[in-house]
Amino acid sequence: MEAKKENREVLLSVRDLEVTFGSRRNPFKAVKGVSFDIYKGETFGLVGESGSGKTTIGRAIMRIHPTSGGEVIYKGEKINGKISKELDKKVISEIQMIFQDPMASLNERAKVDYIIAEGTYSTKKDLPKKERMELVDNSLLDVGLLPEFASRFPHEFSGGQRQRIGIARALIMEPNFIIADEPISALDVSIRAQVLNLMSKLQRERDLTYLFIAHDLSVMRFISDRIAVIHKGVIVELAECEKLFEHPLHPYTQSLLSALPLADPDKEKNKELIVYHPDECHFDYADNPPEWVEIEEGHFILANARELEEYRAQLQK
Amino acid sequence: MEQKNDVILSVKNLNVKFNLRGKVLHAIRGVTLDVHRGESLAIVGESGSGKSVLNKNFIGLLDPNGFISEGEIMYYGMENGEPQLLSGYKKDREWLKIRGKEVSMIMQDPMTSLNPLKTIGKQIGEAVEKHQGFKGARLKEEVLQILRDVGIEDPERRYKQYPHEFSGGMRQRVVIAIAVACRPKILICDEPTTALDVTIQAQILKLLKELKERLNLTIIFITHDLGVVANIADRVAVMYAGDIIEIGMVREVFYNPQHPYTWALLSSLPQLGIKGEDLYAIQGTPPNLFKEVVGDAFAPRNPQALAIDFVEQPPYFDVSPTHRARTWLLDPRAPKVDPPACLKKIQPSL
Repeated sequence: MEAKKENREVLLSVRDLEVTFGSRRNPFKAVKGVSFDIYKGETFGLVGESGSGKTTIGRAIMRIHPTSGGEVIYKGEKINGKISKELDKKVISEIQMIFQDPMASLNERAKVDYIIAEGTYSTKKDLPKKERMELVDNSLLDVGLLPEFASRFPHEFSGGQRQRIGIARALIMEPNFIIADEPISALDVSIRAQVLNLMSKLQRERDLTYLFIAHDLSVMRFISDRIAVIHKGVIVELAECEKLFEHPLHPYTQSLLSALPLADPDKEKNKELIVYHPDECHFDYADNPPEWVEIEEGHFILANARELEEYRAQLQK
Repeated sequence: MEQKNDVILSVKNLNVKFNLRGKVLHAIRGVTLDVHRGESLAIVGESGSGKSVLNKNFIGLLDPNGFISEGEIMYYGMENGEPQLLSGYKKDREWLKIRGKEVSMIMQDPMTSLNPLKTIGKQIGEAVEKHQGFKGARLKEEVLQILRDVGIEDPERRYKQYPHEFSGGMRQRVVIAIAVACRPKILICDEPTTALDVTIQAQILKLLKELKERLNLTIIFITHDLGVVANIADRVAVMYAGDIIEIGMVREVFYNPQHPYTWALLSSLPQLGIKGEDLYAIQGTPPNLFKEVVGDAFAPRNPQALAIDFVEQPPYFDVSPTHRARTWLLDPRAPKVDPPACLKKIQPSL
């Protein structure tokens, strides 16, 4: 890790991103000024509860949701808002997404070959049919499925196999960057491990960068290099994975960690649950608003001056 | 029956089959299980292992194409002490005296288990009225008390609200309120926290533990999350392919697991994984229950399976008086196979 740090290249950079839903008269800001960088080849985790805006961020980067403020910069080029046709094409093939529910994210009425090849009809329009099917076969093999499956319908597959089809669909575009939105939370325990292993194998082989969105911190700890914790549309803490688990500073991070169920009865039955009360922890935010500060190398936190002192004291210990 | 005082529900060699597209699916294959009064028993397994089907038998909610082909279920919790043969019930009317009052159930998804057209107060009141016969102001008072019991603040205002005005965690609290409204003796929780966030899940688990103490409940908890099991259960039963393959006190099963399937299940936890290395993954798929299963159902997926695993189903071997497992590895003649090394990370800390 240490050696890599020196020449890390920023692949995607999000600056003050805002996403607003609702009408102009009654707007709802789902993402309120979020900034982070994702380095090439890393797995960047985004954790938070439902409603925290973690999926919205992923979808805003994918340009499924329009942004209402801020910038998304991919390889030095701004990709949100209006962009040129060439850039649009490039971004479509290089950034791909894996969705949460493999039961809902595949077209029930299309066969697997079409589902997987669909993206190539837009980027490689004039590809002969034979070559396109070759791409599909390779893509199926890459995710551990057989080429024979291409002529079947999605309902013939189990949840784990469907998620593999979802991954194959992303891979055929030869992406650099994959946004995985809770890719394993709808799967069974034993299948989860298979899909996680597949994802890390693909990352090693193709030098992929992942934005991994999940609410399960134990999965995050296993797969992520760096983790950002998001609460109500704001990132409250960002650090390298182990640092975050060893020294969680923000009270919200602490409450998330304490709620994580551990498969260890002695520890689990005696743990203390930390509940996050924003009003009590941040009582002085009105006169002393928080800022996004790097408290130690690579460890960012949202805090005001009073809290920073407390957190620094905690780190000294 | 000397165990009558301790055992509230007793299942003997239960076999459940389903008629499906002209074929017969053998969903529960000879489950024997005693549920003790006042315990919380967790049933873990993959989807399709039969954990939900097993529990639906206890409350008479088996799908119409399913039937008990063999075995019996006895219930010993009635006020008058009369044992009830639940597996012999045929009519819905017979179930009325069990459902709600004796055995109650919480379903997985709080979004779909409430009626969107009725207020919360009405829905809880419905159950109370039917079973306890309260009416009018007395009924409302009782419902408000139940809402307070499950930790819903400002019950007066909440009473008049509809389910869509509640968050997921609050809705699950309402579902729990309805389930315990008639003071059941057994509460079956079918993955009650799977659809919830971790922080909310922790709160709901805490609530269930409090209610269990306060109302003297026996809890049967169905889940696939081993972390939740560690949190809530006194005893764990591991199900695979319609059978309980290992059962024991929670510390015995986590710290001294015996069956290769339990090993595999525990090893595939991301918590035990080492970053940068592959996580242990169980290969293959569960057996097809349309076909007769020969030998140990897990053998085809077990890389260390013994020859006999493919021929004959292992009996239960006792590990301790409270812990038994269905694996030939416990037979004195079996070669010694060590559990996977990563399981050493789960160690008793008391």
